[in-house]
Amino acid sequence: MTRDATGTVLVVDDEEMVVTSIESFLQLETSHRVLCYTSTGAALRSLEETRPDVVVADFMMPDMDGITFLKEIREARPRTTRVLLTGYADKGNAIRAINEVGLYQYLEKPWDNEHLKLVIQNAVERARLLRDLEGRMEALEEANSELSDLRRRLIETFL
Amino acid sequence: MQETGTVASGMAGPGGGAIARGGGAILLLVGGIGLLARGIEAGFALPAGAVAAGVGAVWLALEWGLALRRARSEASASERLRTERSRLRSEKDGLEQAYRELRSQQADLVNSARLATLGSLVAGIAHELDTPLGSLRSNHDTLRRAMSKLQVILEDERVDESELDEVRRIVRALDGVMDTNDLAMDRMIGLVGSLRTFGRPDSSERDRVDLHEALDDTVRLLEHRLGEGVRLETSYGRLPRVECHPAEVNQVFMNLLLNASQALEGPGEIEIRTAARDDTVEIEVRDTGKGIPEEHLDRIFEPGFSTRGSRMGMGLGLLITHQIVDRHGGQIEVESEVGEGTSFTVSLPVSLPASADEGG
Repeated sequence: MTRDATGTVLVVDDEEMVVTSIESFLQLETSHRVLCYTSTGAALRSLEETRPDVVVADFMMPDMDGITFLKEIREARPRTTRVLLTGYADKGNAIRAINEVGLYQYLEKPWDNEHLKLVIQNAVERARLLRDLEGRMEALEEANSELSDLRRRLIETFL
Repeated sequence: MQETGTVASGMAGPGGGAIARGGGAILLLVGGIGLLARGIEAGFALPAGAVAAGVGAVWLALEWGLALRRARSEASASERLRTERSRLRSEKDGLEQAYRELRSQQADLVNSARLATLGSLVAGIAHELDTPLGSLRSNHDTLRRAMSKLQVILEDERVDESELDEVRRIVRALDGVMDTNDLAMDRMIGLVGSLRTFGRPDSSERDRVDLHEALDDTVRLLEHRLGEGVRLETSYGRLPRVECHPAEVNQVFMNLLLNASQALEGPGEIEIRTAARDDTVEIEVRDTGKGIPEEHLDRIFEPGFSTRGSRMGMGLGLLITHQIVDRHGGQIEVESEVGEGTSFTVSLPVSLPASADEGG
């Protein structure tokens, strides 16, 4: 089993049975930390304490649709990878919305576990790479400002 | 003489009298001519009598000519009548044919509207099945994977502590899987149960049903079609069981709810209210949608009337609804205000009239 990249996965669906099934599967097959919510409000509040790498959200939810929810996630946590879960009947609408807001992936219900694992693994990996990249950028910026500082001092010393 | 014979043989009844008269005139004319000839022979022995006979003969000949003309014009009138009658007959045949075709086209349209309702029903079922089926499928896969992991561990002669930890982890992961499976199966069994009234093969079957159950089943199958921000409220009174054709009554509820959901453009509210009044029950479906203009209110139960474009099968939902309610000896009323919303109220007798079995 590949348990290389470990991340935090947030799963949101108004159906208890869906989040329980995904949670059980991910716990068995991966070493990700899995957080499950059946309301978008509670999920958004949880962002104050956690930085999920991946958010999986259902498309049709009574309090807020998945697209709007994932938009809010993007605003709060821009580097989180967002995945939409859609029922077969809503596929057309979901795909249109995905193209509009640019999501990473969508999963169709009834989903295939192997596919779910792959998507989540890739999404975690993507989030990790983004974080890495950001870290390196920060380090570069820091080095750059140190260098400018040094250059300024050098110029000051010799002139 | 020959000409007269030809005319006579070509004549039908109405000219007969005129011919007889014409024949008499000819005889007199011949007689007159005979007398005249004899008068000439006799050296004008009886000139006055011959003149009188001649005048009589000429008068009779004129009479005969007029009769012949009259007979001819009567004959042509009757000919015209005959042509007109056959033209009318063929026109009537044409109209009857057109009527039959229209009837069959209307039946086709009603069928396609039924199919459109069926389409909504099927979409509802598909959506309702997605969740429990998705869960069951995932859980089944999870259980199989867990089983094969456990088998691998148990293949060893000895199970060490780290493997025991793994077993504990696996069992922990499965926590909740069985309960979820129970829930998923119950959900699917319930769904099939609610379809039973919709899917009766014999829609003429009558039954005493709890209309609230029927309404809830319909709502469940349509709920996913309600857009974002649409609230559905129910306010049920105490209803007796109502004798009806359940499949048809479900179709009425489905049509009214579909109509209400289509009337809402964006957020809004749909309210279902029921009440019992003497020997009837009332079911009201009210929406806060765009409303129906007054000039359209009289036409909404007409075939093909729709404000939602001319898609096949559209605009027949209310016609079918009206027909079904009619067959049940009930009534349907509509109140609407543009910008405020629309309310449809169906009243059904608690007991089905005997004639209602002929429908379906």
